[in-house]
Amino acid sequence: MTLSGSKVIESPADLEDLREKLRKQLKPSAKSVRVCIGTGCAAKGARRLYELFLQAAGESGNGVEIEAKCVGCHGFCERGPIVVVQPGNIFYQGVEEQDVGEIFRETVIGGRIVERLLYEDYITGEKARTADEIDFYKAQMRIVLAENGSIDPTSIEDYLVSGGYSALARVLRTMDPEQIIAEVDRSGLRGRGGGGFPTARKWRSCRGAEGSPKYVICNGDEGDPGAFMDRSIMEGNPHAVLEGMIIGAYAIGASQGYIYVRNEYPLAVDHLSRAISRIRDLGLLGEKILDSSFSFDIRINRGGGAFVCGESTALMASLEGRVGEPRAKYVHTVESGLNSKPSNLNNVETWANIPAIINRGGEWFSSIGTQSSKGTKVFSLVGNVENTGLVEVPMGITLREIIYKIGGGIKDGKSFKAVQTGGPSGGCIPAAHLDVRVDFDELTKLGSMMGSGGMIVMDQDTCMVNIARYFLSFLKDESCGKCTPCREGISQMLHILDRITHGEGETGDLEKLESLAELLTETALCALGKTAANPILSTIRYFRAEFEEHIRDRHCPAKVCRGLFLYEIDPELCTGCGICKKNCPAEAISGERRKPHVIDQTKCTKCGICLEKCTFNSILKV
Amino acid sequence: MSIVTIDGVKVEVEAEATILDAARKAGIWIPTLCYNPSVSNLATCRLCMVELDHGEEGQLVTACNYPVRRDIVVSVSSNRAKQARRGVMELLLARAPESEQLKELARRMGVEGTPYPTVTESQHNCVLCGLCTSVCEEVIGCSAIGFTGRGVDRIVAPPFHLTAEECIACGACAAVCPVGTIEVRIHESTGEAEISPFKARAKLLVCKECGANLVTEPVIRQMFDKVKIEWEEFRKRASLCPACRRKRSAEALGLVAAKSREVNFASGKD
Amino acid sequence: MPSEIIQEIVSRYEGDIGMLIPMMQDLQVEFGYLPAEALHRLSKQLELPLTRIYGVATFYSSFRLTPRGRHEVTLCMGTVCYLKGAGRISEVICGEYQIEPGGTTSDRLFTLQAVNCVGACALAPVMIIDGRYHDHVTPESALKIIHGLQAESETAEKGAE
Repeated sequence: MTLSGSKVIESPADLEDLREKLRKQLKPSAKSVRVCIGTGCAAKGARRLYELFLQAAGESGNGVEIEAKCVGCHGFCERGPIVVVQPGNIFYQGVEEQDVGEIFRETVIGGRIVERLLYEDYITGEKARTADEIDFYKAQMRIVLAENGSIDPTSIEDYLVSGGYSALARVLRTMDPEQIIAEVDRSGLRGRGGGGFPTARKWRSCRGAEGSPKYVICNGDEGDPGAFMDRSIMEGNPHAVLEGMIIGAYAIGASQGYIYVRNEYPLAVDHLSRAISRIRDLGLLGEKILDSSFSFDIRINRGGGAFVCGESTALMASLEGRVGEPRAKYVHTVESGLNSKPSNLNNVETWANIPAIINRGGEWFSSIGTQSSKGTKVFSLVGNVENTGLVEVPMGITLREIIYKIGGGIKDGKSFKAVQTGGPSGGCIPAAHLDVRVDFDELTKLGSMMGSGGMIVMDQDTCMVNIARYFLSFLKDESCGKCTPCREGISQMLHILDRITHGEGETGDLEKLESLAELLTETALCALGKTAANPILSTIRYFRAEFEEHIRDRHCPAKVCRGLFLYEIDPELCTGCGICKKNCPAEAISGERRKPHVIDQTKCTKCGICLEKCTFNSILKV
Repeated sequence: MSIVTIDGVKVEVEAEATILDAARKAGIWIPTLCYNPSVSNLATCRLCMVELDHGEEGQLVTACNYPVRRDIVVSVSSNRAKQARRGVMELLLARAPESEQLKELARRMGVEGTPYPTVTESQHNCVLCGLCTSVCEEVIGCSAIGFTGRGVDRIVAPPFHLTAEECIACGACAAVCPVGTIEVRIHESTGEAEISPFKARAKLLVCKECGANLVTEPVIRQMFDKVKIEWEEFRKRASLCPACRRKRSAEALGLVAAKSREVNFASGKD
Repeated sequence: MPSEIIQEIVSRYEGDIGMLIPMMQDLQVEFGYLPAEALHRLSKQLELPLTRIYGVATFYSSFRLTPRGRHEVTLCMGTVCYLKGAGRISEVICGEYQIEPGGTTSDRLFTLQAVNCVGACALAPVMIIDGRYHDHVTPESALKIIHGLQAESETAEKGAE
């Protein structure tokens, strides 16, 4: 189904005509194979699958039209490549090249299921035919990700058929800027990038600011490690973001928009570029959109590779061709931002929520979620869980529900230790608080924050001191270096943590860390510096004993920090094969052939090579 | 006009004045390091933190660039502000342990030493305040040096860490450096001025009368670009140091010879 | 170094200095890295001080000022990849090829780069070679893949002889 020619859509009526035309072209009983080509599935060869399905569909001479389509990220990346067959919404996972023929023959043509490619519940063994039958998807409420997995993100036709740009038409035809902002206000939408600032309030301030031109900016610099929500939205449904931006620009009075996408997301840049080209050709972007007096255009800028550019003033500096250094926000960016002009910056997910809010109403949106946090939030649930991937859930759901019901609990039968939320600006939450209702404010009370939505689950074998050290090391690399406290303070904190994780901790170290943490929060110039201490503060708060064991006993209870635990050979399991002895660089292992070997602790350098080489699992960490 | 109540003292300031302006008007001292009225305010050092009264919760802000847009109440000497400034100074002392100027500033603030070890290896004794790069770009117009790299290993250097091509060895960077890291060195044997540590050298012109160091050749050339006379004429007029020129003028006017003042060009002090 | 390339890139963005980073990205695609001469010319074309351009080139992680290897090996160092052993993989590769992260092997076979999270956390640890993603890599499998690159270029060389 394609648009023939590129007739410009000159009015809302034209848009509806086109939509009707496209819908008529749809065949409800049409068979289609939807192959996910999001980065996760593409990494496992999904593009080749798509090609093969396309070929098969083309060669099929049944007289029935079969469509092979590529779709965006379903969010269940670990189970990729994912292929969904219509009719029936049959959900296949882990599809490989050799499965294509079978799927085509059996399911597409024959209407039969290929059992072994279905998702199998790891406890009950039950197989799920459709996504709705899988626990991972059952408890989700997909608004932002609704179309991911059913529309082809490189075409606008799918988006139009499912109602795309009707919100824009409605806004331009029947609403004025104040009414639009009022609707967003009614929805209670708060920024999804981490700040949680009320979106309507931001729009209103920017609208009221003096100066022109005004800018709207989309922050696609998703830098939190472990978070890939924005990637999936930009890759899987770029038009939702664009529609949101155009509506926002109209409400604010902006004439130019920018989407800043991090350099590490080439597919997102590609899909967004195509989408922009398309709507420009069709007249949904440019001069006098849909027969209104509103003119607006969007440009994409790729980041240069700097986490700090996720901070709004640093992002704007980057858009000005400068280094990504933040500046003071005593005068807000809505008054003086990009090129010192009023600029409204919002996160990808925030923009993507706008069309739904306009279409279904602010009141509908605010009926979902909690008192202070309305709507849904997309989280990336990763780490030591059974089901890792993107989940979209209503605010107020508990951590326990997310991790256990949706995530399927901890992998490999291990136990839960902590969940890291909010990336390098957030903190760890221990088991005692699993029943916290997830929203902006509740997580902050616990010493963490929701942040952009990263949720990294950690099991009993994680060393929390090591985690704190990891985040500090990350922030040290990413600090722009402009202000003293962040630049020097993070270095000093990392220095202390390096000592602790190497068995050189001293009494007073924890107090020093806490005092540095406070200094950073009080004096750093931007949010990166101000929140840099959160990971360390929250891990000390909930896992102080673990720190103390590192410092006082020079021992790592999780047996992660090299040198802070011992390697021992279990005499019951050791077969005396001698591989460890042969590979030990310190010649610390002795033993006769076929007799249990022994490690001489006085010689052992704790390098861990013996454990790597042993094939009998007889080397223990103690 | 807005009223700033700073440590109990009320002063009136104009629109867009800063808290620092108000403090100076009120005669209250706030330590600064990276602040210099001749260049843009980057507020990098964070030494001038003061507490802004926001009703229930105060907020710490940097005095040098917080714009006063309405009546506000500021506390310079609150414990919270003092502790913040002390912490920042302790970090700075760890960063630039050999700077006498920094230690002097610390003493004035009541900070005797630092509990932190020096953990950075890069650029010796530099606090990355940005004054040198700003003055070179904005005032002198040469942009010979700039920040390179990111984060704690950032340094101030010419592009590609080679000798600064654009440098005219004017010494402005040395003049604004608050920790004494940048120095102008005079090499008598070669008649050159060197800006350390940027390895930029230029020939020094000397006074025809007394032989005192004047300016470097590149500086004279840059000055020449701004006047509308011939080079030879310009060179003739610019061949005397200020002291000798004054002596000549006084003699020419038949006045008794004015008290001669030594001008030490190298340090820029009288 | 044809100055036309620089000119072409500058006019592609209408000489807008706000687009400096995209200009430098395009330059890097053209030459494989950012040669000093190209930056000098860019500075003249845009009438921007070289210090400003050099500052940008050294601030952002994606810019390279030295020639790269024939292959680009990127290791994700995001939290999940780190927890699943990305650090060890980096160590092993660096040890075998005698390089540091960010460095290029002496025979220019590849450049090893660490990035902070590529957003494919469900596939951790992730290694990307010349744009192609490899999931769930281990020190052994990573080395094997890189050895494959070596073999490839050796056969290519032999073919050329």
